[in-house]
Amino acid sequence: MLKIENLHTSVEQKNILKGLNLAIKPGEVHAIMGPNGAGKSTLGFILSGREGYQVTDGSVSFKGEDLLDMEIEERARKGLFLAFQYPVEIPGVSNMQFMKESLNAIREQRGETPLTAAEFLKKAKEACKQVQLPLDFLKRGVNEGFSGGEKKRNEIMQMILLEPSLCILDESDSGLDIDALQVVANGVNSQRDGKRSFIVITHYQRLLDYIKPDYVHILANGKVVKSGDASLAQDLEKEGYAFLGQDHSEETNA
Amino acid sequence: MSQWLQQVIDRGQAIDDWLSPLRAQALDALSNTKWPDRRVENWKYTSLEPLVNLQLSGYAATEKATIEKIDDLNSLDLVFVNGKLQSDIRALPLPKGLHISSLLNASVKDQNAATGLFTKIKPQRHLFGLINDALAEDGLIIDIDADSQIEQPIRIISINTDGQESHHRILLRLGSHARATVIEQGQGEKASFSTLFAEYDIGEQAYLEHYRLAMHTHQAIHIGGCHFNLQQRAELNTTMIAYGSDLSRMDIDIIHNGEYAKAKLNAVYLLGESEHFDLHSTIEHKVANGTSEENARGIVGDKVKAVFNGRIHIHRDAQKTVAKLNNRNLLLSRRGQINTKPELEIYADDVQCAHGATIAEIDEGTLYYLRSRGISRSQALVMLNFGFIQELVNEMPNQHLAQWLKPRLKSRFMEMEVK
Repeated sequence: MLKIENLHTSVEQKNILKGLNLAIKPGEVHAIMGPNGAGKSTLGFILSGREGYQVTDGSVSFKGEDLLDMEIEERARKGLFLAFQYPVEIPGVSNMQFMKESLNAIREQRGETPLTAAEFLKKAKEACKQVQLPLDFLKRGVNEGFSGGEKKRNEIMQMILLEPSLCILDESDSGLDIDALQVVANGVNSQRDGKRSFIVITHYQRLLDYIKPDYVHILANGKVVKSGDASLAQDLEKEGYAFLGQDHSEETNA
Repeated sequence: MSQWLQQVIDRGQAIDDWLSPLRAQALDALSNTKWPDRRVENWKYTSLEPLVNLQLSGYAATEKATIEKIDDLNSLDLVFVNGKLQSDIRALPLPKGLHISSLLNASVKDQNAATGLFTKIKPQRHLFGLINDALAEDGLIIDIDADSQIEQPIRIISINTDGQESHHRILLRLGSHARATVIEQGQGEKASFSTLFAEYDIGEQAYLEHYRLAMHTHQAIHIGGCHFNLQQRAELNTTMIAYGSDLSRMDIDIIHNGEYAKAKLNAVYLLGESEHFDLHSTIEHKVANGTSEENARGIVGDKVKAVFNGRIHIHRDAQKTVAKLNNRNLLLSRRGQINTKPELEIYADDVQCAHGATIAEIDEGTLYYLRSRGISRSQALVMLNFGFIQELVNEMPNQHLAQWLKPRLKSRFMEMEVK
């Protein structure tokens, strides 16, 4: 599904990822944990193609194709999905318009016919229900005035609608209370079908109680420093990142 | 005296018709008018160079313009090509209470009534209003009887073709307690120069729903105006949609002459590469208890020069006036320019007023978000542009017109894209 080799990146001349390797097979769930500033969010941005994030070395292949050569929208159309840590608000563009446009662009790529307004509405309502958002959210401006938790659920709703083959969840648990966390986790779990792959980026082991990873990787200083199974996350919860032996004082990761 | 203005005066003097006494006043005013340069406040950001330098072939193409029907609108269409009325008014089935005549064959009664109104609604300060007074021979006088509810929208289409200059004018009188919808639709893209000034006298407790679609682009220079006189408890709801060309300008006046009148003006300007557009609006609250609300939104493309000047003037006696004015702009490029100036001039002490202007840019983070969901950059820009003006389009009372407009706005946005 995804193969990252020796990935080096920089943002505004600052090196963030310094030789990252990661291979993900269809159906696998990989958790990426690590201290602030380790490059976790950068990885999500690099994979989705955000401008300003430069790849200085290494390669990424997605379903056998060179991912780094694709436009942002092309990556999405080919099945890559990033659930944002901080989804943007777009007043004036309704959630419904946005998601219909998005779904139809992706359906077109898959060789499917565009959905009519009625067909779309039916699907959107189901997805809305699944993440427990009231239906009037479809009519509101994209993320406009949504609480932090509602924004996260909206991301998961989009994921459910778009049926991507690789989902990257960038701290989809941050700022959520336990109920919202369960809603998000259930939404994700409902999409695990043995073929779809996930990268779950998180600070805390808490989310992984609900979304059981096959592998856990610890990212520090731009590299995977340790990989293991789900038990690694539990060890980390107990012992913290101290074993990394470096200073991980608060740094904001954009 | 500028040479350009002198030739206008010479041409105006040569016209002899029932409007000549009015024309003489305009010519007199024009001969005392200084040709505006950048030192003249009203023209500070709009240069008339493109007009002065315009070379018109004068090629008289008597092409029959094809008029696009608007689905479900069921409008009464009146068509001007290069300022000349093409429709045969006598052949039109007019609803009861609606009377239309052309300036060219107005009855003596109409002439007298029109002569009285033509000097009362449109202020004399508009240079091109005066030029239109001096040169317009054709146009419409529309009369709507008191208490008449005219359901069928009156659609006045003005088309400008290659190489032509044209001037025409519209006068509409809406009787007390009457209701009507008027759509003024202008279009042209080839080298041409046109003025069109429309004046509306809205009677007591009458309601006018009005649209001005000024869709001149490229080399079609258009300078026009809409001027509304509101009598007691009259109500106006007007929407202007404008594109830009080498030189486009619109002057709007809304004059509260009767108490408890209400006016709503929504204006949208959508400007593509290197276009120029200038919107000047003035809302005069002359009497007490009036309400006005103006929302102008503009999307400004690459190398565009745009001007917005919105003035609210509250006279000494206009107590209890409620007036709001807001202008928002979205810049698509760092090379686009908007000069915006909301102005409040208040001489009454018991009023509620608000005014504001903002200028924003397309946010790259928002574009990234939309693209990360499979939406192309072009499509994302169209969505964001739509999002910016959607509210005003949705507020158009006639949704058949809004539906017709939407795909056209979409292609406009695609033309405006900064690559």
